[in-house]
Amino acid sequence: MRRIGYVFVAAWQGFWRNPVMSVAATLTVSLMLLLFAFFIVTDRGLQAAVVALESKVELVLYIDEGAKPSDTLALKARIEKDPAVARVEYVTKQQALERLRELAQRKEDFTLADIGTNPLPASLEVKLANAQATGRLAASLREELGRGVVTDVIDNPTVVEKLLTITRVLSIGGLAVLAMMLFVALFVIVNTIRIAVHARRDEIEIMQLVGATDWFVSWPFIVEGMLVGVLGAIVALAVLAAAAQPVTSAMVGFLDILPVSLGTSFVLELAAGVLGFALLVGGFGASFSVRSQLSKGARA
Amino acid sequence: MIRLEDVSKRYPNGTAALQDVDLTIGAGEFAFLVGSSGAGKSTLIRLLIREELPTTGRVVVNGKDVARMRRSQVPHLRRLVGVVFQDFKLLPTKTVTENVAFALVVTGHTGRVVREETERALQVVGLSHRRSHFPRELSGGEQQRVAIARALVNRPRVLIADEPTGNLDPVTSWEIIKLLTHVQELGTTLVMATHNAEIVNALRRRVIHLDKGSVVRDEREGLYAA
Repeated sequence: MRRIGYVFVAAWQGFWRNPVMSVAATLTVSLMLLLFAFFIVTDRGLQAAVVALESKVELVLYIDEGAKPSDTLALKARIEKDPAVARVEYVTKQQALERLRELAQRKEDFTLADIGTNPLPASLEVKLANAQATGRLAASLREELGRGVVTDVIDNPTVVEKLLTITRVLSIGGLAVLAMMLFVALFVIVNTIRIAVHARRDEIEIMQLVGATDWFVSWPFIVEGMLVGVLGAIVALAVLAAAAQPVTSAMVGFLDILPVSLGTSFVLELAAGVLGFALLVGGFGASFSVRSQLSKGARA
Repeated sequence: MIRLEDVSKRYPNGTAALQDVDLTIGAGEFAFLVGSSGAGKSTLIRLLIREELPTTGRVVVNGKDVARMRRSQVPHLRRLVGVVFQDFKLLPTKTVTENVAFALVVTGHTGRVVREETERALQVVGLSHRRSHFPRELSGGEQQRVAIARALVNRPRVLIADEPTGNLDPVTSWEIIKLLTHVQELGTTLVMATHNAEIVNALRRRVIHLDKGSVVRDEREGLYAA
């Protein structure tokens, strides 16, 4: 118990009695973590954008003027059973015309001449839960053609294909950048701690000379590394918290179609993740650095 | 207390630092190690605390073969053998008390024992009034006294001093030498490497003269030069 007390006191003293090195290391760690956290948030936003984009994929079935409403509703129910389908919306002829009128009002160069009859067909709009299934679903729905209900299936295969390519690049690219950032943060933090420990190699040598066991030499350094990590994480998270509101509102203002709100559970996960990462990297970095110094002191 | 049998030390770069050294230093003895720079004095001291391993031969301290010791036993050897260096080797971020107490804390002592023994060691070297200072706030002589207090606090059987007066003025040097002889008179084996002829000649103790890695002279009440 007292040994543990000694470790914490020694770690605390080591931190505060080498203020320049400690502050420099802490700032480096917080910058790295900030960068890392920023990329996590960005990646999260990207994934949300991917989901939003893919949810825009839909199939439209035009309904024959003479189709019985009961047949149409039966078809709707059948399509809804497919797991790749999120929901199916029935748009009547009247609703289709309303939409066209609304569109015409918003676009200046688009005037709707007064039309006596309604030329627009009723339709079923199929929203997909899984955009990859568009092709398969479209093919199966084409089998309905000529059975008296469906007159046409609109699926825009090239647009969907392009969209899927973009979202795939965004997902994989985001993940790759994140992995790279993780590596960079790890490397820079471990190296910073290594330099801080190396600067105190005389101290390690002296400890060994007065008969300190490896345990006694290393643990204060390991705890000090964790302290640097945790303080760095706190600074990084504080900056992130302060910046979150303005950045989010700017993002939402800029990309108003994308839902970039992150949610409380994600924020908590992020904070815990950054803190845990910093703690582990700080501790392991210090342990690794002290060990390499220790082996130089006591030849075995 | 200390026995070297046919000890040779050759560094990886080919330098032969010690050659066929046979030496016995009894418990409670006082021995000077003299010789020019590079004669092997520092290497001999490093072998005694196992900072280096001998290339051949046996180094026995307090009945134990230092070279055959497991790495985990090295800290125990170093508590048995106190060392004082020319450059003091104090921890700059620890106060005088903490520097001395540290040597006790690492051996697993706690609380009252640490406080009392640290105070005792500081009284022996006459530095109780400086206990809260940091090494940089002390003179060279005071720093060396802190180093001696740290070496003594574990009540070692052997005290090794490697050029303990090398960085000090003559008056301060004498104070340190008086302190070290006092410690030896209380029963600690003392081995002192030095270039200070005046001190060696005045004390007339055993003198072990090293030259090019070999013992060329070993006299009971010797002088610095033959």
